[in-house]
Amino acid sequence: MTGYRISVDTGGTFTDIVVLDPQGELHIGKSLTTPERIFDGMAGALRVVAEDLGIELTRLLAGTDVLIYGTTRATNAVVTKRTAKTAFLTTKGFKDTLTLKEGGKHGPHDYSYDYPDPYIPRRRSFEVTERIGAEGEVVQALNEAEARQILATLKQRGFEAVAVSLLWSIANPAHELMIGKLIEEMLPGIPYTLSHQLVPILREYRRASATAIDASLKPLMQKHLREMAADLREAGFAGDLLVSTSVGGCQEVDELIARPIHTLKSGPAMAPVAGRAYAAVEKLGGNAIVCDTGGTTFDVGLVRDGSLVYTRDSWLGQRWLGDIIGTSTVDVRSIGAGGGSIAWLDAGGLLRVGPQSAGSVPGPACYGRGGEHPTVTDAALVLGYIDPDYFNGGRLKLDPEAAHRVIARLAHQLGRTADETAAAIMVIANELMIKAIGEITVNEGVNPRESVVVAGGGAAGFNIMPIARELGCATVILPRLASALSACGMQYSDIVFEATRSRFTDDRGFDLTGVNRALEEIEAELLSFRQGLKGADGAEARVELLVEARYRAQVWELDTFLPKGRIQNTADVAALAEAFHQTHERVYAVRDEGSPVELVNWKGRIAIRLFAPPPPPDFTARSYLPKADTKRPCFFTETGRAATPVYRGTMLKPGAQIAGPAIIEEPTTTIVVYPGLSASLSAAGNYILHCVSSQPATA
Amino acid sequence: MTDQTSLDPVLLSVMANRLDGIVREMTNTLLRAARSAVISSARDFSCCLVTGEDELLAPAEGLPVHIFGCHIQTANMRRYHAGDIRRGDAYLDNDPYGGNTHPADHTFMVPVFYEGEHLFTSVAKCHMADIGNSIPSSYFVLARDVYHEGALVFPGVRIQRDFRNIEDIVRMCRARIRVPDQWYGDYLAGLGSARVAERRLEEFCAKYGVPTVKRFMRDWFDYSERRMIDNIRRMPKARLVNKGKSDPLEGILPGGLELTVKIEIDPDEAMIHVDLSDNPPCVDVGLNTSLGAATSAVVGAIFNALDKDLPRNAGSFRRLRFTYAEESVVAAPKFPHSCSVATTNVSERLVNITQSAFAQLGDGHGLSEGGTGLGAGMAVISGKDHRRADAPFVNRMMLSTNGGPSSPVADGWVNYAIPVIAGLMYRDSVEVDELKHPIRVNALELVQDSAGAGRHRGAPAQQIELTPTGNPVTAVISCDGQHAPPRGVVGGLAGTPGATWLVGDNGDAARLPNVVQITLQKGQTLRGRDSSGGGYGDPLTRDTARVLHDVLEGWESRDKARAIYGVIFTGGIEDETLAVDASATREERAKLMAARGS
Repeated sequence: MTGYRISVDTGGTFTDIVVLDPQGELHIGKSLTTPERIFDGMAGALRVVAEDLGIELTRLLAGTDVLIYGTTRATNAVVTKRTAKTAFLTTKGFKDTLTLKEGGKHGPHDYSYDYPDPYIPRRRSFEVTERIGAEGEVVQALNEAEARQILATLKQRGFEAVAVSLLWSIANPAHELMIGKLIEEMLPGIPYTLSHQLVPILREYRRASATAIDASLKPLMQKHLREMAADLREAGFAGDLLVSTSVGGCQEVDELIARPIHTLKSGPAMAPVAGRAYAAVEKLGGNAIVCDTGGTTFDVGLVRDGSLVYTRDSWLGQRWLGDIIGTSTVDVRSIGAGGGSIAWLDAGGLLRVGPQSAGSVPGPACYGRGGEHPTVTDAALVLGYIDPDYFNGGRLKLDPEAAHRVIARLAHQLGRTADETAAAIMVIANELMIKAIGEITVNEGVNPRESVVVAGGGAAGFNIMPIARELGCATVILPRLASALSACGMQYSDIVFEATRSRFTDDRGFDLTGVNRALEEIEAELLSFRQGLKGADGAEARVELLVEARYRAQVWELDTFLPKGRIQNTADVAALAEAFHQTHERVYAVRDEGSPVELVNWKGRIAIRLFAPPPPPDFTARSYLPKADTKRPCFFTETGRAATPVYRGTMLKPGAQIAGPAIIEEPTTTIVVYPGLSASLSAAGNYILHCVSSQPATA
Repeated sequence: MTDQTSLDPVLLSVMANRLDGIVREMTNTLLRAARSAVISSARDFSCCLVTGEDELLAPAEGLPVHIFGCHIQTANMRRYHAGDIRRGDAYLDNDPYGGNTHPADHTFMVPVFYEGEHLFTSVAKCHMADIGNSIPSSYFVLARDVYHEGALVFPGVRIQRDFRNIEDIVRMCRARIRVPDQWYGDYLAGLGSARVAERRLEEFCAKYGVPTVKRFMRDWFDYSERRMIDNIRRMPKARLVNKGKSDPLEGILPGGLELTVKIEIDPDEAMIHVDLSDNPPCVDVGLNTSLGAATSAVVGAIFNALDKDLPRNAGSFRRLRFTYAEESVVAAPKFPHSCSVATTNVSERLVNITQSAFAQLGDGHGLSEGGTGLGAGMAVISGKDHRRADAPFVNRMMLSTNGGPSSPVADGWVNYAIPVIAGLMYRDSVEVDELKHPIRVNALELVQDSAGAGRHRGAPAQQIELTPTGNPVTAVISCDGQHAPPRGVVGGLAGTPGATWLVGDNGDAARLPNVVQITLQKGQTLRGRDSSGGGYGDPLTRDTARVLHDVLEGWESRDKARAIYGVIFTGGIEDETLAVDASATREERAKLMAARGS
């Protein structure tokens, strides 16, 4: 590499920048996100790094080969309901598909909330007379005159995008294609999405939802990505612009202008990519639990056997209440838990944390903005884990008095000291995260005891050690740049592209011709993608073929890797069935060889390696015991309140060994090393936290 | 309240969280590994942990109609096998006379031992698609008695020893249950779920030690009871009596059944006393409700009327007291009466009667009635698939559902199913059902103007039309929701009842009875409409923004908005200019209000 490589993660609050310089050093920059013009915030953060490097911003940009842009623009547009005015076209009799969704509700006794609205309102939904059957046969031909009439109405009513999702278009796309042609003819320039092209999968709601979301994002994402490219050019950038996606890879701008749905949740999807890279560098095995602790959410993802874990059950908003994305995405579970979560005492005398949050306004009491409820951040401040003058790199001065006041009030109700109460708040807050981690690992058949935790996000260091200890994970990797985990992930990401075909069959009456044709089509699509890619000649490419499979009559499928690229004979079919049995056994601990295996959606994924991951360091750091920078009184349940050594991270060298209790302060993150546990700084510059104490674990 | 031996409250909270994690893991295991749609889609199952002394400790977020009775089943297991229960055992129970809900619910129980002591029993209860009944459905409304019903019944029978199947039992089931592989798949899923809990509970005991675990159980029950006491103390002292009717059964119960629930709320004693004794005697059909099913229905409905995060376990249940009849269709079946449909028909009505009884306390309390009845969109269909060499199939669909009840603060939930499912189920994909069965769905939509109006509106009804694509298809429908519609409360209006029609190839529609078994020939269409939820509060006080929303979404018409809600609009839907005319609305509402008084 000759120039810089820049990755940008624009979050709701902060824009994180990570710059890899030609010497292989990573630099971090942060600034507030500027939603009106994203480039401004990005430039602000870049200036921080440029200053750090001692060069001008234009020189940094001019010297950059690749910039990977992670955007929440699409997500924000959905959340704030500022997507395009979109029409939903579907088969006659099925206008309510987006309203009826797939069922499911939280809380059998909870009648306190309304039923959610559909992604596209009913007045913007239109039915076309046509019907394809389950075998792909035309049950009723498309009524073209009626379709033309509808499109004329759309034109007249000023629709900005069209989503077309017909029943069984995956078995026979003729009608969707015909409507596509009519749109081109009658509504030239109006972007549209056809369901069988975007997500050729079984289940009409999932396909319709994905199609509706994608179409509604097209106008604005086209504009946004083109403007971003222009802004960057104007600022001196002449390299390749890539955009990160929800499959944990990146793509060229044009590809995402055509399918903007893939930019949704791309930020969180990059954290497991980073986790995979760090676990590899530290040679800590192929299974990692990747946690990203933000201000208001806690995200968990997984790396299994060195691979990312994907799901088709990813939602915008809450599961069942929001809208399903429908495409395959990196599986990242998010729970509302963070520094703002409020601690309270319930009617049975039990201490609870959340689900109410003080958010950022008014925020925790210690923000001094009128917050009167004790929060997790207030507890961390009372315990001495946070330096009130150095919070968020000193950007926000905290009010310890206010924190003490609200915690003391709760302590009084609880009949305990303020310190004990604050420590209890931390323990209970940890529980929410332990449960979230438990769910994803259990669902995927990953044993936390055989995994390493990779922790990121600005608030990770406060509690990741006790969480890991409770889960039985011996080791946590906390990168120095932990606060920008997603941006770090982009530095190590591949260009990833997926192609899908639906071809339903089973292992008893296996459809050799149909499946092989589907696989050929998938590979042809991957190949054409590969060939269309600029500037990636000779780059290493990996292709994975998978099928979503299940036992007969099961409703949910499991991703199963194909043992061979083509299925030619009964032995191949048996090998595929066996691969499914093994997957099922791993996830559910049972296999049922007596049952037919049904195969539903076929999938190909190509990953083109643009950047080699960082090589592991070629030396072993020599252990040494650093000197503490200062001491401050901190409270730990095991030791009580005592002067605790505080280390400045920037002064530590690889090989540093720190025994708890101790605090390590990095410019963008703080690590609390609990009593009995220890931390070290690795040769690669990551903190390795040792979470198994010599004494038996306490609760 | 706190004594010396009490557990640290932080530890109490942590341990409760861990148990909750275990039942969630049980639920996920069962849900995703299960074979029949009735479990994996309709979510007709539940998981819970019971103490070694037969107290319900931790239920998962499962069907409310399973919440009560597992402790009776575990107690029977211990009684039947006294002195011969050990680690590695598993037991199957589906006896409606022994605490179970109804015979279709196969309950898998694994006694969990630690250091030789039986500390927990993990319980997974699953509704099986077939249980060897004399008809191809696990719901048999017309069963004259248990012999006519024909279910295989297992009263706390050991099915595993040393973690291995007792194959005799499996062979018995395989010999009598239709599509035995499907049953066996669900058997593996249910047992797998209970075994997962066993492993996790052993780890739990190893981590905390037996004395702490025991203290935890005691303290958790006490905590739950304190929450319940606090909640009941905040309620008014009252005696509530509420009645309701079930649908008639052609030729058998022409008037339906009149059901009564009496509730006495005593805030001073912090007790709720439920009297179910004033109900009709047993009937010679499958409508009799078991103690487990009827009590669950009522307990679930009581929890609908309480704080939403109250723990549901033996601790909070200490503040509930029940009185039953000697012999009754409600909670007191007499052998050999059949309880085949104990969890639906009468139980659905009991949920509605109970939750709406609380509305007698005044605005802010209770719920309206929710839509009832497993209609055409939830029928059990069977036949031979012409596309697969006439392979037989039998399955319950979950395509269209009833509308949910409204509450003091929210409108009804659209995907409600029935009161005992309470919206927890997944709905089938039309494409998946067409792929699996030789049927085609012609339409599936919400019915305009069907909802029970109110300050908060019940959820609208849905309507479905489906037709066979080849061979005839038999549909078994046992719907209790086509005569007595769900009622509104506190001035809210009633919802609309469901209906089933057979549409001939000439397009003529003939109304079918609410309980019916019908074979559809190619060219014929089954049309089913579900019922909608009742309203809560006076429709004239409904927030006009909500009425606007409903008209925009097509759930209510402009005519109904004017006539029932007194809301007048300007503009139109099509050009997106629809808006509430505030002053005209004020006048219209005043006029309607005045007309009422006269």
